[in-house]
Amino acid sequence: MSAVVALELRAPVDGVVETDGVNPDRLAALGEREIAALPAWAGTRQGALGDFFKVRGERSARVAILGSVANVNGLGAGMAGGELIIDGDAGDRVGAGMTGGLVDVRGNVQHDAGAAMGGGVLRVSGNAGDRLGAATPGASRGMSGGEIVVSGSAGSEAAARTRRGLVVVVGDAGSFAARAMIAGTLVVLGRTGAEPGRSSKRGTIIAVGGIDVPVTYWHACTFQPPHVRLTMTYLRRRYGLPIDDLVAGGIYKRHCGDAGDRGRGEILEWAGR
Amino acid sequence: MKIRDVLIEDTFAEAFTMRAARVVITARNDKWAREAALKFTGFATSVIACKCEAAIERMLPPEETPDARPGASILIFSTDTDGLGKRLIERIGQTVLTCPTANCFDGLPDSPVRAAAGRALRVFGDKFQISKVVGGQRYWRVPVMEGECLLQESFGIEKQGIGGGNFLILAEDADSALGAAEAAVAAIDGMPGVILPFPGGIVRSGSKIGSRGYTSLIASTNDAYCPTLRLTTASALPEGVNSVLELVLDGLSADAIGQAMRIGIDAACRSGVRAITAGNYGGNLGPHHFHLRTIMAGDGAA
Repeated sequence: MSAVVALELRAPVDGVVETDGVNPDRLAALGEREIAALPAWAGTRQGALGDFFKVRGERSARVAILGSVANVNGLGAGMAGGELIIDGDAGDRVGAGMTGGLVDVRGNVQHDAGAAMGGGVLRVSGNAGDRLGAATPGASRGMSGGEIVVSGSAGSEAAARTRRGLVVVVGDAGSFAARAMIAGTLVVLGRTGAEPGRSSKRGTIIAVGGIDVPVTYWHACTFQPPHVRLTMTYLRRRYGLPIDDLVAGGIYKRHCGDAGDRGRGEILEWAGR
Repeated sequence: MKIRDVLIEDTFAEAFTMRAARVVITARNDKWAREAALKFTGFATSVIACKCEAAIERMLPPEETPDARPGASILIFSTDTDGLGKRLIERIGQTVLTCPTANCFDGLPDSPVRAAAGRALRVFGDKFQISKVVGGQRYWRVPVMEGECLLQESFGIEKQGIGGGNFLILAEDADSALGAAEAAVAAIDGMPGVILPFPGGIVRSGSKIGSRGYTSLIASTNDAYCPTLRLTTASALPEGVNSVLELVLDGLSADAIGQAMRIGIDAACRSGVRAITAGNYGGNLGPHHFHLRTIMAGDGAA
């Protein structure tokens, strides 16, 4: 048993590498050779993880991927526990479907990060692509639990169809954020892109850095939402996010919608102290 | 054993296992946190008539509360888990939900035994309530006329809480007794895991089990310690004692009560106090025995 299982690309990869099962709870039960024999695909060619990565260490629930793996997909997908540290950029579907543990990406992630996630924590120090914490293609529900914290910005459809859980974007969020949201919370500390909360049934968008509220939302009141203060305090303490007191304890405009779909969702637009 | 010429009697306080919860109330400022906490802990001196015992454990600075606002930590005790759950629903519902700017959080998050008081109270929102999960804990946003009240869904129950730690201050006069009791309360104030549920932390009407004259009473005056009855009952009061006050302590552990008793007794040993004793029932009713001399020797609870 090692303190950590380290994976390092043997050489830069042309095209995309798809992985399956590179997650700490699975690697915790495998020896070095077994880890190297896990399946991986480069285009239509099936190979083994060891064809692409040097594997050092075994039987550890702490996995480190050294260097940028921006075109390696599926890292940490489906993981249920342990800790996966990606010391650089990562590809699509990082932490997709995970139900527990921590994925810590010290770089950017591509699309579908944390898609259909059910639990655990996904941290991204850089930017995220489209459909952060959203539903997998064709699925009716996106994220159903856990927390995603992106220190940079996110692409379009962040938290789309989210059923439960917390998605935090410190930078800006792209268009159609929280589209068809079922419940849960999306926090955007930067600017929220066009058409937020379209077709949302319930759920909350907390928009701090500006938002164009759709006409299908109506203004209910301005107030100090206690749960926003709780959430912001939690984010400051748990993740060290630089959230000002004026934001945590400030006044928010409550917009209810989407009028076309039950109208029990809300956009909380920061209005200052 | 004597401390500053005050006799520490060779006896023990007999206490009982109780269920306990810690409730954290926060509000816009200290004033409203304290207001809600005082209402919450009102009429909660003894389980005999109040169904629970509660008091403010300590006031909390913003950095110690979940929502970074001033708060109050309350301990509440009852005899059984079900009863404690009901008391939480009643008291949170009537004193926190109603109080301007107040929110309510669980102070024993690691306890596996839970009382879903917030879940029960959410229905006040008449289906307009909204649940939120933050940090793995569920909260209920209940719409109220002021805005929203935030209640944690469930509260941890400590099944090994202890109620009924006590000591009695036997003094030469009422002023000395009150002064010593106030000093003891001040010394204990803010100690973690322990409360003094009676008014100002002090009891003047200590009781004995049952009654000599009224069969329906479950408790009546502790005549052996009433100075006015010295010649008309089997008095336990030494010569020169003319006033007695008692401190009753409830705590989350025997350690917490033992430490508080030690500090409180030490503070009470002052001029005008003749002796410190404790209330017990012969040792056959309560499983927790706090021997005064052992405690004052620094060995905690027996």
